[in-house]
Amino acid sequence: MFTDYSISKKLTWMNMLVSGAALLTACVAFIGYDLATFRAIEVSNLSTQAQMAASNSVSALLFDDPRAAQNTLSALKTAPNIKSAGIYRSDGHPFAVYWRDQGRQVPELPPVPPSQTEAYRFGGNQVVLVRSIVSEGKHVGIVYMVSDSQMLNARLRRYAGICAIVLAGSLLAALLVSSMFRRAVAEPIVHLAETARAVSRDKNYSVRATPSGSGGELTVLVDAFNEMLVQIQERDGALQKGRDELEQRVQERTAELESAKKEVEEFSDSILQAKEELERASKFKDQFLSTMSHELRTPLNAVLGFSDMLADERYGTLNDRQRRYVGHIHTGGTHLLKLVSDILDLSKIEAGRMEIALEDVSIASAFGEVLSALQPLADKKSQSLIQNVEPSWCVRADATRFKQILMNLVGNAIKFTPEVGRIELVARQVEEQVRVEVRDNGPGIPSEDQQRIFDAFIRLAQSGEATEGTGLGLAITARLVELHGSKLQIESKPGDGTCFYFSLPHVATAPVEPARATIATPLADKSPRILIVEDNAMMGQLIQSLLKSSGYETLRCDQPERATEMAAEHKPDGITLDLFMQPVDGQEVLLQLKKDPRTSEIPVIVITMADQPGVGTAFGADEYLVKPVDKATLLAAVERCLMSRGGAAPARAILVVEDDASTREMIEELLAACGYSVVVAADGAQARARMAHALPELVILDLVLPKVSGLELLAEWRSNPRTADVPVFVLTSKVLSKQEEQFLRNNAEALFHKQQSWQQALMDQLQRVLKNPPTVKV
Amino acid sequence: MSRDNRIGFQGIPRGRVPANRRALPWLTALVIVGILFGVSGLPAQKSKPQEYEVKATYLYNFARFVQWPSSSAAAKSDSFAICVLGEDPFGRALDTIVAGESIDGKAALAKRVSKPQDAVSCRVLYISSSEDSRLKEVLAALDKSGVLTVSDIPQFSRRGGMIQFVLDGNSVRFEVNLTAAESAGLTLSSELLKVAVTVRRNSLSGD
Repeated sequence: MFTDYSISKKLTWMNMLVSGAALLTACVAFIGYDLATFRAIEVSNLSTQAQMAASNSVSALLFDDPRAAQNTLSALKTAPNIKSAGIYRSDGHPFAVYWRDQGRQVPELPPVPPSQTEAYRFGGNQVVLVRSIVSEGKHVGIVYMVSDSQMLNARLRRYAGICAIVLAGSLLAALLVSSMFRRAVAEPIVHLAETARAVSRDKNYSVRATPSGSGGELTVLVDAFNEMLVQIQERDGALQKGRDELEQRVQERTAELESAKKEVEEFSDSILQAKEELERASKFKDQFLSTMSHELRTPLNAVLGFSDMLADERYGTLNDRQRRYVGHIHTGGTHLLKLVSDILDLSKIEAGRMEIALEDVSIASAFGEVLSALQPLADKKSQSLIQNVEPSWCVRADATRFKQILMNLVGNAIKFTPEVGRIELVARQVEEQVRVEVRDNGPGIPSEDQQRIFDAFIRLAQSGEATEGTGLGLAITARLVELHGSKLQIESKPGDGTCFYFSLPHVATAPVEPARATIATPLADKSPRILIVEDNAMMGQLIQSLLKSSGYETLRCDQPERATEMAAEHKPDGITLDLFMQPVDGQEVLLQLKKDPRTSEIPVIVITMADQPGVGTAFGADEYLVKPVDKATLLAAVERCLMSRGGAAPARAILVVEDDASTREMIEELLAACGYSVVVAADGAQARARMAHALPELVILDLVLPKVSGLELLAEWRSNPRTADVPVFVLTSKVLSKQEEQFLRNNAEALFHKQQSWQQALMDQLQRVLKNPPTVKV
Repeated sequence: MSRDNRIGFQGIPRGRVPANRRALPWLTALVIVGILFGVSGLPAQKSKPQEYEVKATYLYNFARFVQWPSSSAAAKSDSFAICVLGEDPFGRALDTIVAGESIDGKAALAKRVSKPQDAVSCRVLYISSSEDSRLKEVLAALDKSGVLTVSDIPQFSRRGGMIQFVLDGNSVRFEVNLTAAESAGLTLSSELLKVAVTVRRNSLSGD
């Protein structure tokens, strides 16, 4: 209730209430006590009077003299407090009665307990007292007296008045005292509170509360408050100072950082510049290597290819001298090609441009390939080649490079081992790895030379008589082995043979390489001829172009009435026939064709708008196609018809895309010699046009082409459903990146490098892919 | 009788006070007082005491207000005798009243005497009207004997008797000859004198 009051109000109230309550309690207690006392006195007075009346009225009672009793009671007139009195005889008869004022009634009398002689009762504004009258131990009557309590009430009123005055006085005094207290207690607190409020409102810690000077807790409070303010002020100052310092320090640091950053930026700029230069240099080098590779190999390929052809005496016999010279040209060219390849390889390795694609390589198949490739060389020297390997073993290696390593090592061994020597190719497990050894029983290498032989262009003196070789083979081989994370090592004693070996991580099982399934399309030695019976010129042209582009020879027949005659005259291998024609309709034509013995065996493909296959086949049609007909459906239908008559699909040309004229001519010669028909394209644009005109059986594609590159062409063809299935062989001298190699692996059927002897491999692959080799033209 | 009252008083159930006492305070008071004293109905009206019953009671009551000289024969006696000289008008009333009572520690008894000399040992002597003729001799015989003389005889108090019953209407009153009593050595209480109709002094000289 007082919680909202100010402290001075609270103090005042507290004082007033406390003193008021104390006084009130005292007054009530005092009045209560006084009343009780007063009552007791009154009862006692009344009792005395009753006693006197009783003893004075004994004789009156005994001698039945109410008058005497009346006289006795009349004496009560002198007692102003007695309102009325009366005497009863012992038999209950009223004997005498007294009233101070007339007309009063007899009051209700309290019963007198048997052991006592007196009883009284307070009631209304009066006290009633009854006393029994006894004489000689005998009860002779009773006397009662009624005293009014007017005096009591008056007294009560008086007391109440006094109490009120005292209360008022003391409250006034309390008010005064509390105002004094207020000055001493409340005002300092109020002052303190206002100061605190001002501090928290204005955040001004420099104000101070004024000490009250009264001493005691309040002074302590004020002092403590002031002390607190002093501390806060100090801390505030310190904090501000700290903040300022911190800010300054941050600024300094920021500046330092700024300059450091600038330095770093300058530095990184210079690094970037250096990097760009490096990249440019490296790109230039790559470009140089690639160009060199291409530019050196292309003419060499021509030299080798044509000298080969000359040596074959395909174009006339050579005399001995000519043959020898051609042999020299070929040998020199081969050596030069090898030298160029080795130099390029080595510089690639030295430049760190040689990339290794690790895969699981079957050792046995690699050994097989290498040995079969080198067997002719060994045979020349009557050397025996022996391999020893667990067929299921695989190693993690780059297949091409792994074979190259083996090729070099075995080639070296053949070269440096005398005739009738023995060369072993062994794979054995050493711990988790496979150790590949190439061992010969040649003259061996002295220990002082054993490390030198891995350096480039080093050839040992004693091998002088065997002058073949570039001196780069072992250096390249050693580098390639290092690229595989291993080391090429040598074990040799002069006169006791040599063993080169290295170790590669072992992989448990050989993955089974599923053979690439090739859909074989039987090829006819001459193009099948198809007669197109169609009165609508546009439709006829469309069908004609579709069939023509797939290698068919076509005849058009615009007049259905002449169809049977034309078929009998030209003997086509198949006929396409429209059903709705004028003046003779397709059904009539079909009937005539089937009736005429000259044409009844020719398969007929009905191409029509009506979807009623039953109608066509009922009259003997082989196929029933509904317009519009797409190319694949048409070709499939035609092929089915041809095959059902023992015929074959037309032999299609092989498209050779090659910008270098001599290489192009060489490939043309090679293919023509094997009976393939050849279409050539000298650049990417031409190749695109040829492909659009007619689908070839296969494409031999060079990658480095003017206008449109081979890779672009390949991507284009693969994304077009029409050309997606045409097999593509890539023949290039381009140094391929990993990505390019991956792309070719996915999209080309075979890849041949011009720097290697690709001719035989290409012909082998060609036969594998095309299955049915064409008969060589005579 | 008073003992009966007390028993009756004790038996009052307090709950029997009427609830409408405010309305009839006077009647209520009467009833209460009646109950208080064990009186049922209005016995005072019904059996109003006969004149001599009242007088007998008075004889007994006088004893309370009289002091006898210790030298008197009556004072020396073992009993407190209330005597009747001459024809007895009380019947059984006097005997009933004194039965079992004691005064000043002495057993009260009622005695009939025929000669004044026999009455010397009595405390109170009622002289019957039959003795009117020889009253002089009787009083003379009792002179200074310390016996309280009481009688109905007219002019008794004037003739030297101490207490004379008079009738005032229906109520029995009495006259006192104080001189006669004092000369006999008796002291009468002022209380007694207060209720007397007349108190005579020196009546003998007047007689």
